[in-house]
Amino acid sequence: MKLIKSIVRPNKVDEVKDALAKLNIAGMTVTEVRGHGKQKGHTAIYRGKEYNVSLLPKMEIEVVVADAVADDVVKAIVTAARTGEIGDGRVFVLPVLESYRIRTGEREA
Amino acid sequence: MREPSITQPGAAGRNLAASIAAARDELRGDIARGAGGRTVLERYSDRADVLLRQLFAEAPAPKAPVAVLALGGYGRRHLCLHSDIDLLILFGGAIGVSEEAFLRAFLHPLWDVGVVVGHQVRELSEFEQLETDNPEFLLALIDARPLAGARPLFDRFSSAFHTASTHAFILRSLLGLIDVRHAGFNDTLYQLEPDVKEAPGALRDLSATRTIALLTDPLLLRKGPTEPARFDDAEDFLLRVRSILHLEAGRNQNVLGHELQERTAELMGYPGAEAHQRVERLMSDYFRHARIVSRSLGWARRTAPLPVGPNLGLSRDGIRFMDPIQAARNPASWMCAFEAAVEHHTSVSEEALSCIQQHVDRYRADDFFPGTNDRAALVVFLKPTRGLYDRLSEMHDCGLLGRVFPEFQAISWRVVRDFYHKYTVDEHTLLTIRNLERLTGDVEPGRQRFANVLAGLSHTELLVLSLLLHDVGKWREDDHAVESERMADAALTRLQITGEARATVLFLIRHHIQMALVAFRRDTEDPDVVKEFADFVGTEDRLKMLCLITLADVGAVSPDTLTPWKEELLWRLYVDTYNHLTQRYGDERIGRNQAGLDRLTADLPADVTKPELERFVEGLPQRYLHLFAPAAIHQHVRLARNIRPDEVHVSLDRVDGAVWSLAVVTLDKPKLFSNICGVLSSFGMNILRGNALTNPNGLVLDVFHFTDDESFLEMNPDAPSRIAAVLADVVAGREDVAVRLRGRERGVLHSKSSIRFPPVVRAGNETSSRYTILDIVAPNELGLLYRISRVIAEHGCDVDLVLIATEGGKAIDVFHLTQRGAKLTEAEQLALTSDLQRTLEEIR
Repeated sequence: MKLIKSIVRPNKVDEVKDALAKLNIAGMTVTEVRGHGKQKGHTAIYRGKEYNVSLLPKMEIEVVVADAVADDVVKAIVTAARTGEIGDGRVFVLPVLESYRIRTGEREA
Repeated sequence: MREPSITQPGAAGRNLAASIAAARDELRGDIARGAGGRTVLERYSDRADVLLRQLFAEAPAPKAPVAVLALGGYGRRHLCLHSDIDLLILFGGAIGVSEEAFLRAFLHPLWDVGVVVGHQVRELSEFEQLETDNPEFLLALIDARPLAGARPLFDRFSSAFHTASTHAFILRSLLGLIDVRHAGFNDTLYQLEPDVKEAPGALRDLSATRTIALLTDPLLLRKGPTEPARFDDAEDFLLRVRSILHLEAGRNQNVLGHELQERTAELMGYPGAEAHQRVERLMSDYFRHARIVSRSLGWARRTAPLPVGPNLGLSRDGIRFMDPIQAARNPASWMCAFEAAVEHHTSVSEEALSCIQQHVDRYRADDFFPGTNDRAALVVFLKPTRGLYDRLSEMHDCGLLGRVFPEFQAISWRVVRDFYHKYTVDEHTLLTIRNLERLTGDVEPGRQRFANVLAGLSHTELLVLSLLLHDVGKWREDDHAVESERMADAALTRLQITGEARATVLFLIRHHIQMALVAFRRDTEDPDVVKEFADFVGTEDRLKMLCLITLADVGAVSPDTLTPWKEELLWRLYVDTYNHLTQRYGDERIGRNQAGLDRLTADLPADVTKPELERFVEGLPQRYLHLFAPAAIHQHVRLARNIRPDEVHVSLDRVDGAVWSLAVVTLDKPKLFSNICGVLSSFGMNILRGNALTNPNGLVLDVFHFTDDESFLEMNPDAPSRIAAVLADVVAGREDVAVRLRGRERGVLHSKSSIRFPPVVRAGNETSSRYTILDIVAPNELGLLYRISRVIAEHGCDVDLVLIATEGGKAIDVFHLTQRGAKLTEAEQLALTSDLQRTLEEIR
């Protein structure tokens, strides 16, 4: 199993969800996050004063998928979340050692 | 002919001196027996009444109706041996020769026999204005008792004087006077040589306690810590002591000094073998009675409802109706209770809420706002402030909110099931208002930026009104925003809210979800998304309002819905849109076949043609169409007719209370904007907001909103033509504005704002394709715009567009500049901003 963790633009969440649904990936965790990548934020001006906006609002989407479909999922996320501009985000793929269903205590394969 | 008399003159008193002497002898005898208390003083007062009535009857009748009133202690029938006789001589008309003759005939005999009369002479009309500089006189009037003369005149005086606002003023004054008086005695009643009139716990406190009850709750003393009989005993004791002091001193002496204590104890019959034992018993009794008075006064001060409006009192349990029966018949007064509660940071009492709940179903929405003033008061009530949510909730709970706004009734306890909302629709609505009010007063640090936006709006009541009605359409299952707008339209008609205010409320209700959709669902880093949203909102004020509505609305969905993350997204959209509206509008001009002009051309006045209007607007910023209503634009077209170089066409109107609007149309030339600002400053006008617009053909339209702080326009009927003439002379170069301003050098060039903060000056070329944008935020003051624009002109810059705003004491100006037809270089920007910074620093 793989944990696929993607940081995307807030307005891209729905498109990513739709793309994952097409791959029959239903379960996911979506979290509001703030951070920066290579952009390191930018300067905003309001009423003549400059403000350094270092942490930008992003959405984090986590899905756990079978190894066999991990590549397809990554591709789907990248395609759905891309605008081509700086700030499109990142996708991380991590191995999952074990997984348990809390309701039953059952270990999942 | 005289009006019906209060009394007819008695037979006694024909020989005034003898009568007075007889009355005083009788009183002296009673006092010497230690019996100079209440009963005896009342009898002595009655004898004085008889004498005064006799004098009144014998005086020549004046032309105007007249009444003589006993005031103060005499009014209460506690006239002491050497007290002044306090009188009000009241005339029902102007005081002329016959009235003066009456006064002489009435007063001189009293003076002749040595009676000290404290008299006030007034015409009834003088009671139309409260004598706020004479609270002691007003207090004495509380005890006014008709002695002689025209009863109807006394009744008219009573109705003019005994009003809620007068009572409230007197009560406040009384409490202040008590504090000052007590301070003179170091706030303790335990004086070794007490003043039985003035000291804490003495007669004046006793009288003050009764006055507080009279002004607030006549039954108050019955509910107090002391039985009324003990309070009366204290009064009798203090009067007996005072009488002895007058007798022994032979004058108006009220201090129970050591030298008089033995004699007083003796006359009052205290037992004891030694004098000091009798004195100790006397003083022990004095302190016991003074403590009773003191406790009663303290209790009355703590518990008495303070009159805060007609039939309204502020008590410990909140605002209550003084007379619930009268309140039940007067639904227009109910809103006043909630308004008073907000004003005094308290609740409406349970008793008042029950009264409303019991009777609310008898009335329709219009009954609560029968007049313009009632509607205006509602508008003030709806300004977001701490406590508004609580008051609206009380109104809702007692059924009043749903009667005042039947539209709101439709969503009472309405449950709409969705994944996000945690509350019924009515409670969600009220919580939005709580979120808004939490942006006032002490604001949590993260929300300060939104609080600043709220503080910058003039008509914040429109926000509350919009929030109150934004979800009323949820009684139906379909698109609730459309239905809410339809229902709100009816409410606004009922409240007679028209024009821009009405349009704004309907816009906010119809589109209350729009900003959340854009901020949370769309890529707000895309300039096109921001531009689209900026076009949608149109003006900064609507942007600010929609932003605050969004914040309040999302925050009221559930405790977790408005996360800091969402706040940040919302704020960014706000800032980007604000910058777009204020800094990029110069790039977007009205084209020849501009869409959206139908609104202007659909209903043209007879004297304005479509081609003329199209020629006028062509080349002006698109923003122009958002800023002005069609009628204003039609007026601008008229002003632009046949304009020639050096000519100035102006129109001047009062727009909103103290605010005036001046529209100036002329052809562009160097220093034009600075000169116009200078002229307004030279007339003492304080510019609040405005827009300076220029089209590519050099036609200039400047619109200023300003206050006339020196009342030049009010006091001079020809003021508009004088301002127009000076503008024409200055623009044509026939007069130098700097010379005009010399006389005002101190006021205009050295005027200082009452608020202080470091000015912000920033120039940049990044936002507009055509212009260098100059942002200035500085403390607002008279002549500020002139000083800024003079520096800009000195740098050879052309001012094509200006956006002028003030928020509280803060001036926020955005200039669109060019120099020789191009943006300023970095060096030119630096030189300009340094000079401006220096100018603004100099005046800090």
